[in-house]
Amino acid sequence: MKNPVDDRLDALRGSAKRLDYNARSLAALENNPRCTLRALLDASGSDKAAIATHVGHPPSFGQSSFAITRGNAFEAMVKDNGCAELLRVLRETLELTLPEVGYEDLNDVGGDGRSKQRHERTEEVLLRAARGEGDATLFDHPMLRLLIGGHKVYLEPDLVALRIDGRFHVVEIKSFPIIDDQADSTQVRAATTQACAYIIALRDLLGRAGIGEEAVSDTIVLVAPKDFTNRPTGAFVDARKQVAALTRQLSRIERIGDLVDLLPEDLTFDLDPTPDKNKQPRRPAEELAEALDQVLVTYRPDCLNHCEMAFYCRSRARAEASLDVLGPTVREQFGGIDTTTMVMGLARGELTPSEDQVEIAAALRHAARLRAELEDLGGAA
Amino acid sequence: MSDPLDALEKSIGTLRRAIRDASAAGDTERAGELRMQLRRAERAWDALIDADEPAAAPPRPAPEAAPAARGAQLPAREHVHRALMLLGTPAAPKLIVGVHEAFFPGELSASKLSSLRRDEERSYRSSPGARPYYLCPALAHDLLTPVRALITISTWTLEQRIIGPLSPRVDFLTSAISIAEAVHTAAESTPDGPSPEALRLLWRFAVNIPDAMPRNASGHEGALEPQQVIGAAQAELDVHTGTDRATRAAAARRARKSLGDDGQLFGAPLQGVTHLRSARA
Repeated sequence: MKNPVDDRLDALRGSAKRLDYNARSLAALENNPRCTLRALLDASGSDKAAIATHVGHPPSFGQSSFAITRGNAFEAMVKDNGCAELLRVLRETLELTLPEVGYEDLNDVGGDGRSKQRHERTEEVLLRAARGEGDATLFDHPMLRLLIGGHKVYLEPDLVALRIDGRFHVVEIKSFPIIDDQADSTQVRAATTQACAYIIALRDLLGRAGIGEEAVSDTIVLVAPKDFTNRPTGAFVDARKQVAALTRQLSRIERIGDLVDLLPEDLTFDLDPTPDKNKQPRRPAEELAEALDQVLVTYRPDCLNHCEMAFYCRSRARAEASLDVLGPTVREQFGGIDTTTMVMGLARGELTPSEDQVEIAAALRHAARLRAELEDLGGAA
Repeated sequence: MSDPLDALEKSIGTLRRAIRDASAAGDTERAGELRMQLRRAERAWDALIDADEPAAAPPRPAPEAAPAARGAQLPAREHVHRALMLLGTPAAPKLIVGVHEAFFPGELSASKLSSLRRDEERSYRSSPGARPYYLCPALAHDLLTPVRALITISTWTLEQRIIGPLSPRVDFLTSAISIAEAVHTAAESTPDGPSPEALRLLWRFAVNIPDAMPRNASGHEGALEPQQVIGAAQAELDVHTGTDRATRAAAARRARKSLGDDGQLFGAPLQGVTHLRSARA
């Protein structure tokens, strides 16, 4: 079933193949819901990496191949020999009892690794487990599915654990260390964000069978190397807030139509790729940049962690001398002022403040005076 | 009577009949191979009766006193066979290589194992039964399809080669016991005692079994004690073994009914699975 909004989104994407949401774009959604450009590109399934590359800001992030190999090796080690290490950790954290060792491998269905087949099997196995049938406690790589804006998105958690008479817990296996019970907060946050989508998808799966959402815990189990060793340890991470945030954003995604309506009729992000397999973009880069410039962008420094367009947006924000470059904490200090030139102008008294800027202008001039005095004293070079 | 013994007796009977048929047909080569299989099955039967240990289904040969003296030049499949016989359970390539390095001489790499598995199936299909044993995949208890990355030996009973939900843990504990026994034997019978690799392998198993690690007065981990590992593993094994054996036996019955000889060794064809699933849905 097609509706006008879908047609408009298809037009925005142009001739390229539709890309579905993935863990990264969901993280971007959760972290920066207000960004219109991100919302449009994701909803239309445009290739953000290709677009950013074409306008001269190729996304240089992504994990190094070493980090990916390390992550996979650690996960394999944790799951080796019938999940021996993992069971030890989960017996400590989730307090699994001795008989709770059942293991269900959902990596493929009898050698068939296609997402659809795996999802059907996952659904069958998890529902059986939720009704208390079967001996399985650990579900290795279940294939979950989430409908976002009418499109299927397949998500694959590292592991889901089920306690007898208890709840499902999403288990994330990460290779960054937990040292003295502390882990890097950015990385924990990224892991939690990822796990939120799994929690929502899992609740959705059980919900379709009439099982309430309390069957899935909103606390995730993070399994990571302990201190400076390679042996795993476990920790609980509360994901309640992020689950709520992402749930809310997902329910609002349907309202993409409101955003689309505000756009000029002929706007498109089509790269006009050559039909051969090289897919060379034929559209002039300036023309594409112009199209992008017509959409509102909300840049934040942490976009660099999860959005392919971030480098482009940052350069744009810098060119406009926007306060966005300095991050939300700085930005919030200057309510009502958008650019550094305006901040400087007000501080030096070169600009006349408008009515609602009077207060902040006085504060800025005061700060400038203090700084000047310090400079006179020779304190500041 | 326990299931493994029953199954062995049945396969001994089948083998005897097959030998008679082969001899009658004048196929001496085939008969010779079948005789080897028969002797192997009989030895396994003896071992089971002697050990009076129905829980541990695998017929386990005693680790040789001085393994270094022989066998360094064997082909890879022989290495794998020997490591698997020591473990007595289906095992992943990584563990097989680990056991090999801990107890046996010679080179064996995990990459060699993946090509080996394909060769085995091809060899079986071109002339079934031509080799005394084949290395084949473990089978999933529900779909009876090959399980990812678990290798078994064709001479084992179906019950031993099937993986149910509890089997990974049961096999882990059974392997721990086998490794601890091998370490113990090495400590008794060789002047140098077990190799460092063997001790490290045992340690990797022991740390993940409740109460398998010795504690000294200060609460720190002391030296590994194979007997303690065996005791601890056996204690947890007792919890799982009943349920696991029932699942495996039921799956094995189904496999015997629904699969041919090759299917019982190499798993149900994947296409059949899709049919089965859509029929059920």
